[in-house]
Amino acid sequence: MAKVLEGPGMGLMKKWGILVPNYVVVTSVDELTKLSQVNEWMKKAKLVVKAHEALGSRFKLGLVKVGLDLNGAVAAAKEMLGRQVGSITVSQVIVSEMITHKEEYYVAVKSTREGTDVLVANCGGIEVESNWDRVKKLPVEVGAKPSNDALEKLAKDAGFTGGLAQKVADFAGKMFACFDNEDAQYLEVNPVVARESDGELVALDAVTLLDADAKFRHPDWNFPFAAEFGRAYSKNELEVMGVDSKIKGSVKFIEIPGGDTAMLPAGGGASVYYSDAVVARGGKLANYAEYSGDPPDWAVEVLTDKVCSLPGIKNIIVGGAIANFTDVKKTFGGIINGFRKAKGEGKLKGVKIWVRRGGPREKEGLDAMRALRDEGFDIHVFDRHTPLTDIVDKALQK
Amino acid sequence: MSILANKDTHVVIQGGAAGLNAARRMAEFCYMIKRPLNVDAFVYPPDAGKTNEVPYGSGLLTIPVYKSVGEATAHHPQINTSLVYIGADRACAAGMEALNDSKIQLVSMITEGVPEKDAKLLARHAIKLGKTFNGPSSIGIISAGACRLGVIGGAFDNLVSCKLYREGSFGVITKSGGLSNEIIWICSQFADGITTAIGIGGDAFPGTDYVSYLEKFEQDPQTKAVVIVGEMGGDLEERAAEWYGAKKRRIKLLAVVSGFCQESLPKGMKFGHAGAKEGLKGEGSARSKSDALKKSGATVPDTFGALGPAIKATYEEFVKSGQVVPIPDLSPADQPKLPKTVDEAMKAGEVTVAPLIRTTISDDRGDEPLYDGYPASELINKGYEIPHVIGLLWDKRLVSKREAEIIKRIMMLSADHGPCVSGALGTIVAACAGIGMSQSVAAGLIMIGPRFGGAVTDAGRWFKYAVDNKMSVDEFLGYMKKNVGPVPGIGHRVKSLRNPDKRVKELVGYVKSLGIKTAHLDFALEVEKVTAAKKDNLILNVDGTMAAVLVDIGFPVESLNGFFILSRTIGLIGHWVDQKRQESRLIRLFDYLVNYAAPKRREVPPLK
Repeated sequence: MAKVLEGPGMGLMKKWGILVPNYVVVTSVDELTKLSQVNEWMKKAKLVVKAHEALGSRFKLGLVKVGLDLNGAVAAAKEMLGRQVGSITVSQVIVSEMITHKEEYYVAVKSTREGTDVLVANCGGIEVESNWDRVKKLPVEVGAKPSNDALEKLAKDAGFTGGLAQKVADFAGKMFACFDNEDAQYLEVNPVVARESDGELVALDAVTLLDADAKFRHPDWNFPFAAEFGRAYSKNELEVMGVDSKIKGSVKFIEIPGGDTAMLPAGGGASVYYSDAVVARGGKLANYAEYSGDPPDWAVEVLTDKVCSLPGIKNIIVGGAIANFTDVKKTFGGIINGFRKAKGEGKLKGVKIWVRRGGPREKEGLDAMRALRDEGFDIHVFDRHTPLTDIVDKALQK
Repeated sequence: MSILANKDTHVVIQGGAAGLNAARRMAEFCYMIKRPLNVDAFVYPPDAGKTNEVPYGSGLLTIPVYKSVGEATAHHPQINTSLVYIGADRACAAGMEALNDSKIQLVSMITEGVPEKDAKLLARHAIKLGKTFNGPSSIGIISAGACRLGVIGGAFDNLVSCKLYREGSFGVITKSGGLSNEIIWICSQFADGITTAIGIGGDAFPGTDYVSYLEKFEQDPQTKAVVIVGEMGGDLEERAAEWYGAKKRRIKLLAVVSGFCQESLPKGMKFGHAGAKEGLKGEGSARSKSDALKKSGATVPDTFGALGPAIKATYEEFVKSGQVVPIPDLSPADQPKLPKTVDEAMKAGEVTVAPLIRTTISDDRGDEPLYDGYPASELINKGYEIPHVIGLLWDKRLVSKREAEIIKRIMMLSADHGPCVSGALGTIVAACAGIGMSQSVAAGLIMIGPRFGGAVTDAGRWFKYAVDNKMSVDEFLGYMKKNVGPVPGIGHRVKSLRNPDKRVKELVGYVKSLGIKTAHLDFALEVEKVTAAKKDNLILNVDGTMAAVLVDIGFPVESLNGFFILSRTIGLIGHWVDQKRQESRLIRLFDYLVNYAAPKRREVPPLK
């Protein structure tokens, strides 16, 4: 799933006929001032300014300001742009027209195993979260479209009546069209509001998750996906991502500050089992890492270098299942080079290394690891006869 | 028995290189269980009409490639299964094509990164048709002793150590492809091995879920227990738990789920597979899955490492109750073996091979070429130059600094001689005809022979003959006149005593200045004195001079023409590049440069 920020998310909704407030996304106050000279609504309407970044709790952080005139909006933008929140710098703000309204509603479309659920509630905002039973659901089979009658019944079930029920059904129908045609995995508008001026339903805030795997058939997805991560990537993480994008196979690396058990396991499935075992045995993860798909040795060496550079580590878990076709000797060659380099730089003092692996050329690979003992490494090597995560048990034994 | 894949499974593989690789792995398995290859055809439009080669045992099988699945099943009506190795953007269409073929009952998709919507459409279509769609992102399906679909099981040695040549009692369903070998290995070490192992793929919505496969395993009397290797995300594990707990089941269920570490990660931080991306403690979390499975009566060890002992305990119960009779292990000698490649057999010291060729000059099997044993980089770093490489490769010796200087000068003197000489003209005509460099240069080199540039070896040979036999100049000239003809290396088309060849003067002057022994050069100069006295242009030419000098510094006679060929190649390449750079057009001789001495036009007589 790939998260899309509000601006491009609203753009997609607008494309499918959903009313959204007028908005602009800007990266500087200067840009905002210039845009206000050509966009009438910016002078007439009350405005909302929000930091356009993948940040939670923006309200609490003071990164959402409402009911502003243009001068107020410019001041708010000036204040927000460049602000540092954790590791994220606010580099964009979205300025949108405030829509006066009384009632707030909720419409969402969500991917399920059987197809799609259309969700509707006649309350919105934070009220939905405390009244989840008021959300009514219409399951739609994959490949099918919900009929207008079914959508109207859904709206009525959710407590909408008369002309509003039809409007809600129509709105939900457009949301479904957007979801279905844009390869979305989750679309949520909360709140949907009835515009006071004409009673039309408008989407005020959008959560848009798209299927990144479908990018090949959406040439108009010209926006970047937002980090789903809750924080920006570190320099070392970006460096490993850079390597990952260049190679056959993959290498992955995520830092977790404060941990003492470093992870250097192979395989997407096994790496999580190894991490689980560390937690189950009372250890604290210093990172998540993984290499798979028979990556070149130099890529594994870069990954090893990053793992060895983690501060305060006591153990390194070089785990792995019995590989299908990843060459154990070759990939271990990369790890060994990384270890030697780290040791040469004075790292790995007092660090215990735990190895378990199987697969093509396992004997040669494990023998090469074992030989590191003679070079003064505190290394413990096990083969396929030792169960997968038992090295974690050994490493974390008190 | 087994499920999904068995001895009657016949396969079409949709895809190119990855599909072919899978077929080769499948052939290893078929060979191990002594059955014919179960891949009957490939479908890959770019290669339609060609055949793919699949090694089987010590032989090679030829498998046809078709344009469409329909074409493949028409030619091979026994096909009932398709493996899809087509790229993510075309995978949906390929999967649909296979599902829509009336012969095909099972489609397993290996492709990764297939859009979720496509995967769901394929799954629904399969259900509608009463067929099975497995994947996407599936590592494959393997039934011990019966059938391998895809690369699941790994290399041949691993197939054998996991006892996949005969069936056991445990079914396996795994989302993770990387752990498939591990779990198969565990089943074979802690119990009696597997019946069928299925990789269902790590996507959020696999085409077929655990429950469908659990029902199939429940119907397979050979399968006594099923091991699920799950992941956080989705609700498939919860549904499996629901199925297992719903009523008394014949099979025992064991399961592991990953993702507990998520609970102790900083908020918002997630990792793992595409399917493994949901809430912390709610639906889809490792905790909710594990709890649901435990509640249903399944065995759920708390780490992956504890899975082996849990499987062992289950197996021992089966043995105790008489449900399972232990299968004795095969002795290493009786275990299946793949024929070794020649490389492997030689490494193991099992065969000797009579070499086809023998070389005494170079070797590049290491990390860099060795010239007569010396690493190229070391020669460079120690200041050696091109003439030394020539010495090593042509005469297997390191020439001295002085000899190297002589060689260098010889090369420089003969590098080119303008566009009019046979060699350059040949190259230029070819270049103007649009011919490539190597062929055009070869066209020029072809000219080198007895009349152009190719007299060096012969000149050297006869000067050496004379010196070796201590002949006087007169004896030599007499011998040559009687037995050979004109003396090679003597005579020039345009140069003469009065118009000497500067190149010769230069080379002779330099070599003489070194004060080294030059028996052959001295003899050649003596010969010139006599011949030039008879006729002005019978001088020692550049070929003869080079020859005499090179023999003096010890080069074998057979190598001598090489100096001219190598040197002139520099010029020929220059001429080719020169014509190319000018974008020269096709040329032909002008009629006025030809003397048409052929018969005038005349009538053709009637054919008799």
